[in-house]
Amino acid sequence: MKKYEILEHKADLKIKAFGKNKGELFENAMFGMFKGARYESEREGIKREIKISSPELSSLLVDFLSEVLYLCETNKEVYQEIQFENLTEKELKGTLIGKELKRMGVHIKAVTYHNLDVHQREDKTWEATVLFDI
Amino acid sequence: MVIKKEFNKITDWLWEIPKSFRTDMRVPARVYVSKKLLEKIEPDAIKQIINVASLPGIVKYSLAMPDAHTGYGFVIGGVAATRYPEGVISPGGVGYDISCSVRLLKSDYTEAEIKPYLEKLATEIQREVPSGLGRGRKIKLSIEEIDKILEGGVPYLVEKGYGEKEDIEYCEEKGKMLQADASCVSERAKMRGRDQVGTLGSGNHFCSLEKVEEIFDEKIAEVFGLFKEQIVVMVHCGSRGLGHQIATDYIRIMMQAMPKCGIKLPDRELACVPFNSSEGQRYFKAMCAGVNYSWSNKHMITHYIRKAWGNVLGEKANLGLLYDVAHNIAKVEEQDVNGQRMKLIVHRKGATRAFPPGHSEIPERYKDVGQPTILPGTMGTASYVMVGTEQGKEAFYSTAHGAGRAMSRHAAMRAVRGEEVVKRLKKKGILVKCRSMKGIAEEAPIAYKNIEDVVEVVHNAGLSKKVAKLVPLAVIKGE
Repeated sequence: MKKYEILEHKADLKIKAFGKNKGELFENAMFGMFKGARYESEREGIKREIKISSPELSSLLVDFLSEVLYLCETNKEVYQEIQFENLTEKELKGTLIGKELKRMGVHIKAVTYHNLDVHQREDKTWEATVLFDI
Repeated sequence: MVIKKEFNKITDWLWEIPKSFRTDMRVPARVYVSKKLLEKIEPDAIKQIINVASLPGIVKYSLAMPDAHTGYGFVIGGVAATRYPEGVISPGGVGYDISCSVRLLKSDYTEAEIKPYLEKLATEIQREVPSGLGRGRKIKLSIEEIDKILEGGVPYLVEKGYGEKEDIEYCEEKGKMLQADASCVSERAKMRGRDQVGTLGSGNHFCSLEKVEEIFDEKIAEVFGLFKEQIVVMVHCGSRGLGHQIATDYIRIMMQAMPKCGIKLPDRELACVPFNSSEGQRYFKAMCAGVNYSWSNKHMITHYIRKAWGNVLGEKANLGLLYDVAHNIAKVEEQDVNGQRMKLIVHRKGATRAFPPGHSEIPERYKDVGQPTILPGTMGTASYVMVGTEQGKEAFYSTAHGAGRAMSRHAAMRAVRGEEVVKRLKKKGILVKCRSMKGIAEEAPIAYKNIEDVVEVVHNAGLSKKVAKLVPLAVIKGE
């Protein structure tokens, strides 16, 4: 199964992420975000606790990615894995596993709600489309 | 889908979708464009201009400038004024990059004099002004220091010994929004801002050395301190991670507050609340703090550019500020609405304020001629210095902010390689400094609309008049 796709957008970064379940979907959305903006890293072994609650699932994805960006920017880190302790429609708790940020291609300003879509497909897998302001 | 024939022609440069087009519209939607540019506006952008016309408290029109393109909720290149104090304020009407702005610095040199030093100057500026991508500045300010910048803006930094007194006078709002309140800005926003004061960022943010190629109005050019062949420095950037975090924080807060305020909107990114609600007031005060941070960022970049300038050309080499004007901002302004003086909350997102001659809020030196506005082009095309006029009244004294993208970053990268762009620009006599070839391809001139088409509209519609044309000689891009 494909993890993510980078879609066409005139000014910004638009991605579609996929996952067998919500957890995989969230993780792949994070991959797509970092890859799409060419965030490069080195050295392994960084761990960050993360805990978020939001009114519903699509907001939870936006808030999750916003939190990842905040941690990335203030700690100069990139994350390649998330170990979930808990993931529901409204809540998320887990540990991000990451590396030191070496360089960025473009700086992601923010995760937007523009044409945001998170849904479960007929085959029960998940799909999300997210646009980032860059 | 809105069909372009729905537009009524008001003049050759102004087109309108009447209020009757959609039941939720409170005012008509108006777009300043030529027939040629009207054809090029994306249907999604038109839909956004119409959506904005449905905002509670909106006055007169939902407006779009000739460089308008699809944004989030609000179009980029849009102006929306709401009635003070109960009309709405929206972070989406300001944008994620709070107070992204353009400033212009004037040198005493001509092109012939600077040519031998061009490469050295560009290298030195690149060294002194980091992009801040992954790496911020080496100095990490304390939260207390950030709070002082958020509330004190440019005057605080001048007091600390950075820059000159004139830098205050020639910045919009004298470099400080008085309503700023650092306690309305989250800890995380401040954390993001700690090592980014004096950094350029990426994407379309840049610093360039340009020459004045043509003067259209000798008298006004003289007042602005511009002359033919003169070397000037342009800086385009914003409030960096701190501003983006303020926007992210308050969009979230407002989305949760909207049901309480009884507001329903066609797009979540339009999230807004009454200006006089507690959430509205807190956002406005936080946004003002973000604006101060943004101007402080450019003030420090100016400080480092001057340092680079001095390193190459000697201590006496001067770089005076012509003006710094924001294009992502919301302000409380008094304006004439249908013959009556009214207090308004004016959102300008990807649009620039352009006050006419005689306006009380422009520097004394420019008072008789009007407020300078700067319309940046791309790394390979011209930019314009323009001036506000009385004709801009119908647009709440606003004008365009740039060329506007015509091609996606990916499409640009597929269309041209960074190395090729550098080669082509070199042939035109333009030097490009950027550590990333992909970054250059993404911002290649072919990815943008023709700036001349945009200038034609704003000039003829009277939103702002041409004063001088600038062409780039060296471009220093973030990354």
